[in-house]
Amino acid sequence: MADPHPIDEHLQTAFPALVPADAGPDVLAYHVAAAELPAVARHLHDKMQARLALLWAVDRRPSAPRHEVRYLFALAPGDPWVSLTLDVPEGTRLFPSITPFIHAAHWFEREIRDLFGLIPQGHPDLRRLVRHEHWPKGTHPLRKTFAWNHVIGRQPGEFRFRHLEGEGVFEVPVGPIHAGVIEPGHFRFSVAGEPIMQLEVRHFWKHRGVEKLFEQRRLTDGVPLAERISGDTTVGHALAYCQAAERLLAVTPPRRARYLRSWLLELERLHNHLGDVGAICNDTAYAVAHAQSSRMKERVMQINDRVSGSRFLRGLLCVGGMTRDVAPQSLQHAMEELAPLEHDFSELEAIIGGNASLTDRLETTGVLGERVAWDHGVVGLVGRASGLDRDVRRDRPFAAYDEVMPVTVPVYRYGDVRARLRVRIDEIHESFRLLRELYRAMPDGPISADTGPDPAEGQWAVSAVEGWRGEILCFLMAGPEGRIHRCKVRDPSFMNWPAIQWAAVGNIIPDFPLINKSFNLSYAGNDL
Amino acid sequence: MFRILKKSLKTGVVTGQHPPAAEPEEEAKPAARESARLFRRSLTIREVDTGSCNACEMEMNALANPIYDMERFGLHIAASPRHADALVVTGPVTINMERALKDAYKQTPDPKLVIALGDCAVNCGVFKGSYAVTGPVDRHIPVDLHIPGCPPRPVEILKAIEALRDEPERA
Repeated sequence: MADPHPIDEHLQTAFPALVPADAGPDVLAYHVAAAELPAVARHLHDKMQARLALLWAVDRRPSAPRHEVRYLFALAPGDPWVSLTLDVPEGTRLFPSITPFIHAAHWFEREIRDLFGLIPQGHPDLRRLVRHEHWPKGTHPLRKTFAWNHVIGRQPGEFRFRHLEGEGVFEVPVGPIHAGVIEPGHFRFSVAGEPIMQLEVRHFWKHRGVEKLFEQRRLTDGVPLAERISGDTTVGHALAYCQAAERLLAVTPPRRARYLRSWLLELERLHNHLGDVGAICNDTAYAVAHAQSSRMKERVMQINDRVSGSRFLRGLLCVGGMTRDVAPQSLQHAMEELAPLEHDFSELEAIIGGNASLTDRLETTGVLGERVAWDHGVVGLVGRASGLDRDVRRDRPFAAYDEVMPVTVPVYRYGDVRARLRVRIDEIHESFRLLRELYRAMPDGPISADTGPDPAEGQWAVSAVEGWRGEILCFLMAGPEGRIHRCKVRDPSFMNWPAIQWAAVGNIIPDFPLINKSFNLSYAGNDL
Repeated sequence: MFRILKKSLKTGVVTGQHPPAAEPEEEAKPAARESARLFRRSLTIREVDTGSCNACEMEMNALANPIYDMERFGLHIAASPRHADALVVTGPVTINMERALKDAYKQTPDPKLVIALGDCAVNCGVFKGSYAVTGPVDRHIPVDLHIPGCPPRPVEILKAIEALRDEPERA
């Protein structure tokens, strides 16, 4: 028996009533009573600086007559996750809300209320989140008693936005269909003159029931759905899903597969960041930079197509490894095409960096302070632009990241649009380096391993991947006969959308598209 | 200034540097071709996302990059459905977007075209049957052209729209 982890010891001393549960090497799991939960969560968050990474519910029926509300906290890099489980027996609908002191729980708890019908007691804002007002009362799709293909009726109803009142205060509604070719979402601005006084984001227009659809699948064939959670993060989501499923099915993908996965993930980061650099410039009407960088992005997309037969790298990953190998010539060809691209981009970077009027427009626009970012549990490049030094590739290495030189993580403190642009530019260079290094060290060998026996019902695993937007989490619980009992996916966008409401305050509406572009969050990944 | 000029000269013309497209799977219906005749020289598009995974949006955006440069075919993107000749609809039509889609369709002036882009819009794709999906698109509004693919490549989108607007005798 190994020595208990210091964090484990600390928690058990502080809260002797915690019941430890077995959950594998990188998670400390406990069962908590409802009365004690707020105190434990608060202790973790306030005293131990733990970040609430995920909060979700599981309907354990039919195997057990209860719901579970689960909390996943992230501590310092290298420390295990801390998972808390709260049992909500059948017949009870209430569970204690932690939102009053952990702001990051705000949307999570509203989501649980909508999807499971469990009510977070003490939550300051119980308006609907996922279910829009036209969903009939009592529709809670993730309950096991709710059929996945149920046809939902309609009822009249209207969402109540938070109103600001006063002389000269106007509301500007935007969306769900926007002016550009982007995804649907509703933004409600309260303005007095030009500056934004308040922004409220109303999302979940694209809710497609992804988590319920996962429950209709087997553990081994969830990848096609995972790839379509958010198209621009195809590899990121597929990888997060694969890693969770592999942990449940007790299979380790071969080395070559792990290298290829990292390589593909970097390729995905590259095409998205290249596109974003141009798109941010475009929103300041700087067309030259946009044209140049969208040309480079297109180059990478064409490389994707040649390597995988899909411009979004779809259909390559599978549970246990890869569906097919990438031929050595094809890899070499891709690297040869990528080589001049880095110099190409450096030239563009010099042009962008030398443009004083662009810098003037980006600096101090859309500032997201470190404190606000921390309170919202902001992850990924948005967090790194606001001083939060986090990167899963370095903090909890996955795939092949523990075998190459550690990832250099750019961190900026200003939290403005320029900082987010800088993070992207630095990460583009880092991705080029990683692509080269991964290619050089790419081992030969098999590309997939056979999966082990079906896991016992109720076994679960959680995995984290640093997609190009940030930390993607995937929680998987096994059902009977290798089926999925519950799959909870958290795209980084879900953490970062509420934070954008604060980054916009004080800016003028014409700057909002620029701020939004600099966050570039996924609506599809958020709405699920 | 010099840097920009140097960069532009060095880059040269990149339009058309993409692999050729496969032939469109679906022939445009004669009725659709008839209504598309009006827009042979210029077609203004409003894109409506009804729950796609955003890959189709990325490919629509790619059409505007210098390599595909859709403006050379008279294709433009409009900010409002009221300025549009065609709606390009992506996604399986979620229950939350159903009304917004119908509104956008009503707001688009006649005569108009509707193009269902991507597998989801054509047959709901992997989201078929879900409680939150009420599509596909042609269940709610009449569709003139289906462009399947997950997502279809930009050049395939161009080709399909071109084939629709081509003069019948040339096709």
